[in-house]
Amino acid sequence: MKIKVELFGASREFSKNNLIEFEIRNNSTIKDIREEMMSYVDQNFSGNQDFKKIVNSSAFCNESNNIVSDNYKITKDEKIAIIPPIGGG
Amino acid sequence: MLHAKIVDIKLNKILLSDAEKFISSSNYGASIYFTGTVRNQNNNKTVIGITYDSHDALVIKSFEEIYEEAEKKLKIKNKSVFIEHAKGYLNLGEISIIIAVACKHRDEAYILSRYIIEEVKKRTPIWKKEHYQNNETDWLKGNPIQYEKN
Repeated sequence: MKIKVELFGASREFSKNNLIEFEIRNNSTIKDIREEMMSYVDQNFSGNQDFKKIVNSSAFCNESNNIVSDNYKITKDEKIAIIPPIGGG
Repeated sequence: MLHAKIVDIKLNKILLSDAEKFISSSNYGASIYFTGTVRNQNNNKTVIGITYDSHDALVIKSFEEIYEEAEKKLKIKNKSVFIEHAKGYLNLGEISIIIAVACKHRDEAYILSRYIIEEVKKRTPIWKKEHYQNNETDWLKGNPIQYEKN
């Protein structure tokens, strides 16, 4: 199934489209998305360590606007958002 | 009473007068206005502006949660709170956030205002990209949002 990861903050540098689409198997979890994103950084940014740190230190948010755990199972066509470390004000 | 909003700076302005209108009431004897503005220096670099990015729905949710918590944790029941945060590019000196609170007495107004800004810093999904004199930019390192790893 296809899922879209919406990019925010520093992760916007990962794509000009402000989102990345991944083809994943059914019953995939956030942990799988994190791994997909690491591979994406390897392939598109030669394993840029700063980008990998962003992926590792980010939380993820589901379509209902809840921060979800790494075990959260993604449903078909769900839009997920990556939430890098924050700092407003 | 809460007003919570993300202001897209391309479309609207973030105004102290809006905050004043919202919290103004003879029910309250103490009002505090906190504004965050864009500073010209950070980490020994000359800053010329900041782009603010936000996950709008989560931001509003966090403002609402902080407001609700203030009632439970700080026991401040009678209050008016106005929170707006800017989104988009701001020049030096422009307002990025307004937190205006009105309470019966000054002690609770000071406590509430401080509580809100510190919680926003900890957990509201807003990001800053600084712009420097030499056309360089940098996303500022922030605080990771807490989540369950397993």
